[in-house]
Amino acid sequence: MTIKFNRDETYRDDYTFANSPETIARVPFPFPDDDYMYSMNLEPHVSVGDGAFRAAFDIDEHYISECRDRAITLEKDPGMHYVSAPHMMEAQWDLLELIMESYARDYPEYFTLEREGRNWHWVNRLLEIDDHFTFGDPATLPFEPMEYITRQAQGDWVLQEERDGTLYWGAGIATQRADYSLRFNLGMSWEEFHGPVPLVKEIGMLDRALKFLLRLRIGHPVRRLNWSLTVNPRLEVSAESLPEWAPDRTIVTPENAGKRVYLRIELQPLHRLPRSNAIVFPIRTYLLSLEDIATNPAWARRMHRVLKTLNQELVDYKGFSRYRDAAVEWLSQYDKEHGKEDEGERKAG
Amino acid sequence: MLITGIKSRPVYDLLRPLPGGKRHIVAGQGSGGRAMLRLLDELADLGQQATLLYSEESFSGQNFLAQLQQQPAVELRVYASNQALLEDLKGMLGQARMGTRLYLTGSESFLGTAMQVYTAFDMNRDEVLREHSGTLVRRVWCVHCDTYTENVTQRVYQCPGCDLTLVVRDHYSRRLAAFQAVKADAEVPGELPQAEELDT
Ligand code: HEM
Repeated sequence: MTIKFNRDETYRDDYTFANSPETIARVPFPFPDDDYMYSMNLEPHVSVGDGAFRAAFDIDEHYISECRDRAITLEKDPGMHYVSAPHMMEAQWDLLELIMESYARDYPEYFTLEREGRNWHWVNRLLEIDDHFTFGDPATLPFEPMEYITRQAQGDWVLQEERDGTLYWGAGIATQRADYSLRFNLGMSWEEFHGPVPLVKEIGMLDRALKFLLRLRIGHPVRRLNWSLTVNPRLEVSAESLPEWAPDRTIVTPENAGKRVYLRIELQPLHRLPRSNAIVFPIRTYLLSLEDIATNPAWARRMHRVLKTLNQELVDYKGFSRYRDAAVEWLSQYDKEHGKEDEGERKAG
Repeated sequence: MLITGIKSRPVYDLLRPLPGGKRHIVAGQGSGGRAMLRLLDELADLGQQATLLYSEESFSGQNFLAQLQQQPAVELRVYASNQALLEDLKGMLGQARMGTRLYLTGSESFLGTAMQVYTAFDMNRDEVLREHSGTLVRRVWCVHCDTYTENVTQRVYQCPGCDLTLVVRDHYSRRLAAFQAVKADAEVPGELPQAEELDT
């Protein structure tokens, strides 16, 4: 399996990011039904098919450009997008090992890992990296182990430590986080960092999900999907840079929604780490414009119904109250039946 | 982005004598003096005394120093500022032995910064109590320019660091001992949320 990489797409300024038909076909579409509500959507993270669920950590044609976007974001504001508590070093090495082993196993044409005791040799042919280092000795790497390896990985990565029967945010690299602050969340407990999410506490989901995660075992990862909408294919939509990107929410119209509005799918494959007992929470983001989605009529129809009926509290939380209607109107051309039903109801009523 | 109704704000305690204490340290500020007096009575009923740390810095102007001076105590230390009290507390906890019980009372800002101090010393949950008192002024962190503002009373305020008009979220970080504020009119400049007192 070879991937044709897009080497110089941008996720900012001129937004040249674009998906090939092959990439569109392989994204994990997050809507199993015509209506959507939060649920305990956790399943074993086993390899399925040859799409986004094949590898432990999926990469696609955007790998090189996405790594470049991460580097730009990190450089722009040091200390804002990568943070780690000092005691997370062991978990950092665990994570480095997990990513290197997984990439080398799942993509041998691009990555190679050779080990002799603690002397490791890592080759990343996509980013032209060829490094020798001593596992466990941070002085032998140009960055802390977590930053080093996740600069070479797609998606955001969060490390959680387990203490007092709950999880605490110990470290993270988040250059594509949806509307939260990493520095603010560092050190927070499971309940605290989920504080802003509507409804989940009330329906008991947060407690159940935590119980489930505390039982997570080494070698038995689980995955879930989450989603949101963003205007433009912009990865860096942090709380910090809100003033830069929030004004874009006002430019969406029923005419331009197909090009401007992006479904932001998050694939989250959680793993227990062996030495530190920490949990890694990766957030692998896929961006699809509504036009991309419309290349699959069944998806467009479903997405129309989901957005149209979505609970207003979720719309507000996900931040698209201002352009939900425009997106629904654009999508309605792919769901003529649903429109008619509505009219029928209105006439009957 | 959710502004109100977030569940990360700490739930506070009522000060009462903790069992197993060999040394009680009671640190308070401003109107927290009232809770200190109540606790001292309860400790006295058990035949116990405490080391008192009191800061006269107060947003509401309440001062309980005169009453505290009437109380039997191991020692009473008085400070002009919360900062000075917390520095001293840090030194005390640095030398504290097993069996120390810590009681904190005052504004949310005070409690938050004091929690940062004792967390650094790995004190357990059953060794510390925190009682909130006085107005609910908040210490707020600007997500855009990293400036902390003490004693914020309004939902919408202007950041002294970057001049943006911010809205205070009910989202609290114990590590930063602060609430989070974000640009209030980020989507459409000038379109501001309702001004309101922060009284919840
Ligand atoms: C330890 C792993 C996890 C971490 C670090 C994490 C972190 C987060 C963060 C930072 C947010 C955004 C909160 C904000 O707006 O400030 C969030 C949202 C959310 N989380 Fe988690 N989460 C984890 C696991 C889970 C699990 C296992 C579930 C459910 C089974 C879950 C359910 C949710 C839901 C429903 C939302 C709202 C998402 C949306 O509407 O966009 N989380 N999570």
